Formats: sequence, C-alpha cells, structure tokens
Amino acid sequence: MLLAPAVLVYAVFAFYPMIDVIQFSFMKWNGLNADKQWVGLDNYRYVLAVDPVFWVAFRNTLIWTALSVIFPPLIGFGLALGLNQNIPGRSPLRALFYMPVIIAPIAVATMWRWMFDPFFGLFNSLLTTAGWTNLIQDWLGDRNVALYSVFIGYVWEVAGFSMVLFLAGLQGVSQTLIEAARIDGAGRFQVFRYVTLPALRPTVTIVLILSLINSLKAFDIVYGMTGGGPAQSTQMLAMWAYTQAMQLGDFGRGSAISVVLLLITVVIVVPYLRWTLKRHEAYQ
Amino acid sequence: MKSSRKLQSVARLGAIAMMFTGAASAQEVKVWTLTFANDSANKAWADIVKDFEAANPGVTIKVEGRGVDEHKSALRVAAGSDQGPDIFFSWGGLGLGGEFVKAGLSLPLDKYYAEYKWDDEFLSSALSFSKQYEGGRHGLPYTFHGEALYYNKALFEKAGITTAPATYDELVADAEKLKAAGIPAITFGGTVNWHVMRLMDMILETKCGVEKHDQLMGMRVSWADEACVTASFEELHKWTSNYTLKPFMGIDQAQSFNLFLGNRAAMMLEGDWLVGQLKGENRTADFDVFPFPTGTDRLYGFAEYNYISTKSKNPDIAAKFLNYLESTEVQQKHLGDFGSISVNKNVKYTSTEPLDQKWIEIFGKFPSTFVNGDQAFPLDVTTEYFRVINEVASDNLDPKAAAAELQKFIGNRS
Repeated sequence: MLLAPAVLVYAVFAFYPMIDVIQFSFMKWNGLNADKQWVGLDNYRYVLAVDPVFWVAFRNTLIWTALSVIFPPLIGFGLALGLNQNIPGRSPLRALFYMPVIIAPIAVATMWRWMFDPFFGLFNSLLTTAGWTNLIQDWLGDRNVALYSVFIGYVWEVAGFSMVLFLAGLQGVSQTLIEAARIDGAGRFQVFRYVTLPALRPTVTIVLILSLINSLKAFDIVYGMTGGGPAQSTQMLAMWAYTQAMQLGDFGRGSAISVVLLLITVVIVVPYLRWTLKRHEAYQ
Repeated sequence: MKSSRKLQSVARLGAIAMMFTGAASAQEVKVWTLTFANDSANKAWADIVKDFEAANPGVTIKVEGRGVDEHKSALRVAAGSDQGPDIFFSWGGLGLGGEFVKAGLSLPLDKYYAEYKWDDEFLSSALSFSKQYEGGRHGLPYTFHGEALYYNKALFEKAGITTAPATYDELVADAEKLKAAGIPAITFGGTVNWHVMRLMDMILETKCGVEKHDQLMGMRVSWADEACVTASFEELHKWTSNYTLKPFMGIDQAQSFNLFLGNRAAMMLEGDWLVGQLKGENRTADFDVFPFPTGTDRLYGFAEYNYISTKSKNPDIAAKFLNYLESTEVQQKHLGDFGSISVNKNVKYTSTEPLDQKWIEIFGKFPSTFVNGDQAFPLDVTTEYFRVINEVASDNLDPKAAAAELQKFIGNRS
C-alpha cells in the first residue's frame, strides 16, 4: 500500500509512455492526423535495412557510450581524490567543478560552439597564438573530429556529477580500516588499492551505470553543437528518433528507433547490474 | 424598504452580469510565429499588436516566437491537443505549410477572403499558394521573399570585376578572378543545411532548366538518370572546393553573415531580408545584389503565410487581426521591416535605399518563381537532400554517386 503512489506515478509517467512508444513503432502516423495505420514490422525493416543514417547514429551512440563510461568517471574520480584532501579553497573548488552540471545543456552547447568557432573561437585562436597553425581544425565541421569535439564539451558538462558521487563515496570509506592498514605497514598506494578502491565499489557501480544511461540518452549537447551534422556524421540514436518523430513527422519510425535504443540499454545495463550485484553479494 | 432591497438585488445581478459580459468579451488570439533575426521585424510586430489592441478593446494578441525547428515541433505537439495557436506561421506551398493543411489543422478562409476582399489587396503571385488546395483557400500571405547574390563592392573591384555577371559562365569566371586575387568568392554556413542547399537549387535550375528542375523536385523523373543532375553536383563540388570561404561546415548562417560583413568573402546567397540586417549594421553602401544568373526567367524565392487554426475559438478576430496586419496602412508604415517588398499590392515604394530599389527591380523583372528545395520536397526527402549535398560539399561523396544516392532514398519511400 505504501508503494502505491510511487507505482501509480511510475505507471502513468514512465510505463504507459513506454508501452505507447512500442505500440507506435508498429504504426504509420504523422502526429497530425487522427488516422494511425498498423504496418507491422515495416518501421523496423526501414530503420535497420534502408535508413541511410540509422547505422551511423548507432555507431556514434556506441562510441559515445564507450567514451562516456571511461573519461567523465575517470576525470570525476581524479577530481574527487584531489578535492577530498585537506587543501585550501576545497569547498569553492568543489562548487566550481560541479557548476557545469547545473548549467542548461543547450547553454553549454552554445558556449562550446563559440569556443570551437573555426575563425574566431578560443581553440583556434590559442593555436594561432602558440604558432601551431598546423593543428587548427574545423572542430565541428570535419566529420573525423566533430563527434569528439562535442564529446569534449560533454565531458566538461558531466565530469562534476561523477566527482560529487565519488566524493560522497570517499567520505564513506572507514577511517578505522585506513588506519589499521597503515599500522600494518601499508603505503599510500596500498591503502588506495586494497582499502579505498574496494570500499568504493558500490559508488563505482552507480557512477558507471548512470554514465552509461546518460550517454545513451545523449541529445541536447549534440543537437546544440552540430544538429547531427556535418552530413549526419554526429547523429545519435536518441536525436535521430526525435528528428524522425518531431521534425519529419514519422512517429512510427521515430518510435522504432526509440525501441531499438531501449533494447540496447536493457542489453547493456541489465547484465552489468546483475554481474555487479552478484559480486557485491559474494563480497558480503 | 422592500423596493430598496429589490433595487439592491437588481443592482447586484447587474454587476454580476457585467462581470460575466466583460469576461466573455476579453478575447485572446494566440499567434505562433518565428523569432526574427531582423530586429526591425520584432519591433514592427510589437507596434502592430499594440495598435490593434488599442483599436479593439477587450482583444489581446499574444505573440510567441520560436526558432524554425522549435516552431515546427511546437506545432506538431499542439496538433495533438486542444491547446495551441489561433494563428500560426508556416510557409506557402504544398511542402512545409501544406503538411498542416493536409492534416486538417488549417481553417479554410474562403469566407474571409470574400469578406475582406483579400484577392483585391494582395499580389497574385503571393496569393497563388493559397489556391493549391482542394476544398478551399488556406492561409494568408505574410511575406514574399526572393533570394539572390549579394556582393561586396570593394572586393569585386579589387578582383577587377566591374559589372555583375549576366550568365552562369560569367559568374564562374568572376569566382575564378576572385580566387586569383586571394578572395574567397562566397560564404556559407554549413551547420544549417538549407544554406548550402540554396547553391545546389540554383545550379540545378541553371543546368537542368525549368521543366526538368520541376520534374526532379516533384520526383517525377529519376535523379539518377539525368545527366544534368550529375553535372549539377559536380558544379556544387567545384564551388565548395574552389570558391567557398573555408571552413564552412562547422559554422551557421549567422557566423557566415559576420564573415561576409568582415569582408572575408565576396558574395553571399541570401534573401531580400538581408537588406534589413545590413541596414542594422549601417553597411548597405558597401554591398550590392544581383540575381543568380540561372538563365531562366524564374526568381528563386518563397512565400510565408499565416494560417488560422481549425482549433481557434476566435477565428473571426484572428481573421480581423490578419486583415489589419496585411492592410495597406500597416504594410506601408512598416515597409522594409519584414522584407523589401510587401505582399499588399497597394503599397507604394518610396525608399531611396539602392538595395531596396534593386530588389523591387528584381521582383519586377521575373514573371515566375521557383521555391527552395526544402519547400518543394517532402520533409524526409529534404533531410536526405541535405545529407547528400553536405557529403558532396565536404568531399565525402563523389558527385557522380550523389544523384544515385538521392534516387535510392526516393525509390525506397513507402
């Protein structure tokens, strides 16, 4: 009974829309007419076998996800370790590194777009000043670098989130265990390797899962920085689903792409969760 | 005593009735339109709304402006609910605007066309888009735009170009002269796909001619089978490789405009609305404009419309507002704020600004128009058209393969 309100809210705002999207993925509907036509697997056939952009978006989403579970958590962890020390200005620095997380993603995108401007942007100006003109790039216009340029902006935006979770985890590490290890002769690295890291295991799991889920949903920053271009080379599955449904008016294909994205998320996240839970139980 | 109480009751009832009458007469008309880059258009809208509200007590006009993509998405979301605008902006023609008409979201306006005698007030070329639908007239012209090549007079002079090119070959020769003088001939913003698309549209008109170009845009002939299409993609590649200010794929049209203002490129393919932006920068004297020499008798351009929603609770007031917006008096007062010419045919052109005069001359010179690719094609084909153009422009797709790629997409449409 106590769970009923939460279950009701979840059912209305999460479960029902999900079922609705799955249903739409078998229909042809332009989002304007009342008329919805059942087309079976046609939308899936189209997006998987015909759509010239789907597999580009699929590949980009996988690359983005792989990078997202490596770099923002690593940087966040490094920052958390540094800012967990008793150093002057620790609190303002924590706030400073967390600040990008609270800025609207579209504002982050606009800011980074200007920094990547090939003519007047910060990066090319710095490279020009340093005399490294051979390194000047069309950061957002060259299909070979555009996705990674956007990713740099994304790392800046989200690393602070991992940092806060790791900071909370670090502060939960038992001082008694650390002191006991030191008494037993453990050095700084050994304390870190054999005490701190194992104690952080639940935090690492949470950070990685949240990074994974957020990366699969990547939308705003790509939309704001490249709009999926040049020539759809930075397109992502979440954005392509939105483009198909909301801009091209094909809710069937947009929903089919969303369902594929949902399946990818389930396929990656569920086994990882089960594996980490088993390990957690084994340690207990 | 009794009669005094009765009087008080009557007075109270009267007051309540007046309150309800007042509430009923407070009518709101929601207008969803675009946020205009040209600030004079935004100011003009504010003035027009203020004047209309003053002349129509109890009526409130609530204008909401959005970016192009956000506007399209908002309309689509509103289509599925009871909420939404009374008047919405969209383009004229069967492409973008036609989609909403086809879905039954636009109210047929025949009654208002007759009541306000709009056929006598508007340019027939601008009105033609309202007549393309079965079952009635839809939308009212808001603006009529042409697109042409603006050029930097000083840079042309520096490259030894003394007159504007009259043929496509002369244009290419001038681009070559500019290149030889170390000046990029033209600037585009590649992130907004429709900017580079304009060049492709122009080249197609030039290389394929009127009839074939229309057949291609109507998808009535195969893109893969027409030699002129391959030739057009090759020309596009020539322009983006040799004559365009680089890099351009990572900047938008606003950044491109700033580079044009900064004398970094000699030409820009833009609409008549650019005059307003140049006026805002006090730079009109530095630039001139000429039609892209396609060799056909058609001007590249499009009409913008305002449509009344079928869900509007106040269609009569919405029509009254549109009639006011496009009236001779208002259009004359705000001439130049929305574009170089008005859709109202009774407006008198008195501007001494050479660029305005040049545009009036251009509009008068061409008997017909051809619309931008993104308004001729259905939305999904437009997206693929953008992708193929950008792939060619950024050296990732051979011009010879581009036509086949686009045709493959068209052929796969269900």
